[in-house]
Amino acid sequence: MEYLVVLLLFVVFLQTRIMELKRSILCLAAQSGIIAGACFAIGLGAGSGLHAWLPGLLTIFVKVLFIPGAILRLAGKITDEREIVSDINVNYSTMAAAAFLVFGYLLVDHLLPGTPGRSIIAASILMIMTGLALMVMRKRAILQMIGLITLENGIYLLGLLITEGLPLVVELGVFLDVLIAVVVLVILTNRMSLSFMTTDTTVMKKLKG
Amino acid sequence: MELYVTIPQLVYTLLALPPLFSLIAAVNVLGKGLLHWLNRLTAVAAGAIVVKLVMQFDPSNPVSFGYLYLDALALWMLIIVTMLYLAFAFTSKAYLDRDTNIRYGYLRRFSHLEGRFYALSHLFVWTMMIVVLVNNLGLMWVAIEATTLVSALLVAFKFTRTSLEAAWKYVMVCTVGICLALLGTILVYYAQILAMGGAQALDWQYLAAHGGELNPALAKVAFCFLFVGYGTKVGLAPMHAWLPDAHSEAPALTSGLLSGALCICAIYVLLRNVIVIMPAVGMGFISSLFLFFGLLTIALAIPFVVIQRDIKRMLAYSSMENFGLMAAGFGLFMPLAVEASLLHMMNHALVKYALFYTAGTIMEAYGTKNMMRMHGMLQQAPRTSLFWLLGIVGILGMPPMGIFFSKFYIIDSFFMADRPWLGMLALVLLAGMLIGILYHALRMMGGKPKRKSAGELMGRLDTAVLLVLLLASGVISGTLLELPYLGDLLVTAGQIVLGGMS
Repeated sequence: MEYLVVLLLFVVFLQTRIMELKRSILCLAAQSGIIAGACFAIGLGAGSGLHAWLPGLLTIFVKVLFIPGAILRLAGKITDEREIVSDINVNYSTMAAAAFLVFGYLLVDHLLPGTPGRSIIAASILMIMTGLALMVMRKRAILQMIGLITLENGIYLLGLLITEGLPLVVELGVFLDVLIAVVVLVILTNRMSLSFMTTDTTVMKKLKG
Repeated sequence: MELYVTIPQLVYTLLALPPLFSLIAAVNVLGKGLLHWLNRLTAVAAGAIVVKLVMQFDPSNPVSFGYLYLDALALWMLIIVTMLYLAFAFTSKAYLDRDTNIRYGYLRRFSHLEGRFYALSHLFVWTMMIVVLVNNLGLMWVAIEATTLVSALLVAFKFTRTSLEAAWKYVMVCTVGICLALLGTILVYYAQILAMGGAQALDWQYLAAHGGELNPALAKVAFCFLFVGYGTKVGLAPMHAWLPDAHSEAPALTSGLLSGALCICAIYVLLRNVIVIMPAVGMGFISSLFLFFGLLTIALAIPFVVIQRDIKRMLAYSSMENFGLMAAGFGLFMPLAVEASLLHMMNHALVKYALFYTAGTIMEAYGTKNMMRMHGMLQQAPRTSLFWLLGIVGILGMPPMGIFFSKFYIIDSFFMADRPWLGMLALVLLAGMLIGILYHALRMMGGKPKRKSAGELMGRLDTAVLLVLLLASGVISGTLLELPYLGDLLVTAGQIVLGGMS
């Protein structure tokens, strides 16, 4: 488990540094892969049967293969250099992530003192907060999507840790929703690049008041 | 001969109809005429099933089967959703035809998209039916998120620049909100595991019966997340940014469904969670959050209404006002207020659907959304403007219309609950809303017309539907307690909402 935490922290911090689309999508896939590993570790440790391995398997299919694949296809259509690499200062988001990590540990020690999974719960809080921060700080549609998936992964991991997974039906529903959400967002982004000629969300500022 | 069907069979049939039609519509094999008829047929069949359900279901006797659950509160919501479903089915042809006939209509260029519009709309109604019928807090979350995703495609249906912006904002803000609600749901599950083990995970009936055993501190944190999460979906300030955009950019029929049915479905899920959590957290905390954010929502909506130029945005802010009032009404947690708020859900749904439909019609006839460019409607289209005026009078809560009763009871219960200052504040806020909306609406009616008359904007069928919607709201709320069945249903639903208090 400790290796997973270290890997996870590394990947999340890497995510805050990367500005290039394809690399950050691969980073997301790696992050989901680590979550799948945690799924198997916890599921097989807690029991056997369908509920032990199905979530992990679904994570691999949905979050490691399908979602990054769909976003990669979308990113493949974007050829403009200015679209692919955005030039904003990434140091703020890294610093924010560091602050979130400290915050996560403080929160765990305050709310659940002495739990065995202290580090990984803190890591999941880091993922939730960093996902939110990425959605706010990044302007590219695809990077915002990646922030959203990171947030969702964080919540999923937290749920996995404290409850050993939601009931199976609910979990299947959550996977279905994430899947559809990504499909919808990909459709919208595709349309956006057709009608705005860019995937930068800052051009969308007509609706006010 | 009496045809006897059990309640589970009825519910399963009800849930099978809309997806079946969606499938047929999505394949796009039917001709347009046939599609319109099948659309109406599906909705009428669903309506008939709900009527049959109402006749068979005993409000004091909840029915649970599989993952579904039907009690008075769920049936009340189901009735509202189905009424709007019927209204949708009978106004859709007129709306789509109008879009096809005007010169720059979207469907004129892409006529094959009617099937897609129908498929998505019926799926949207279906997801809302699922929301009110499932018995599991986790599945409720799944269904609410599904409504967001289906309706996002409807909001962006015409793929104009503004509708894309609205849909993007809608999906992003609502999904983040709903993810927080998932966190809240997970925490409720954790509290359940700690208190009573993992059996009957997140089952609403079981949790409602054992709510007192949850850990108070944990339940409180869970409630905060649930309130923020589902509150976002309701459109409570300050997480309301998506609401005016999505409501104003969606096709008018979708706006009606979004405002009339979807947001109250989110309130419904929030209430289900509150019923579970209330015994552990206590009333004071929950009540004050509901009251504060409810009134804040009304207060924030007023300035935007006053300066508004866009006709559908004005209606969207009026929806915010009504959701705020509902939240405040539920926040009082006393029988009269809760029943009035439930009634207000129905009234608001019916009247707001009629208003959005009328607004959509006016917008297309005038070719603009800007209210400042609409003059002299009373001279040019007396019937349309009559319905517009009736709807506006209705939504503002003036006496002959149904909303008057529900708003009056909500305000009344503020005073009965010994919160006279909040009651007065609510009254002042409602008055501000009234001034803002009435000014714009009346300005559209009066003055000299500046364009050539297009004649009446609405046909016979949609006029009849609007009339039925407005009348139904008025008659039901005016005579509710004398009505044989609905009165009972409403009182029982109110008791369910208050179930967490005892």
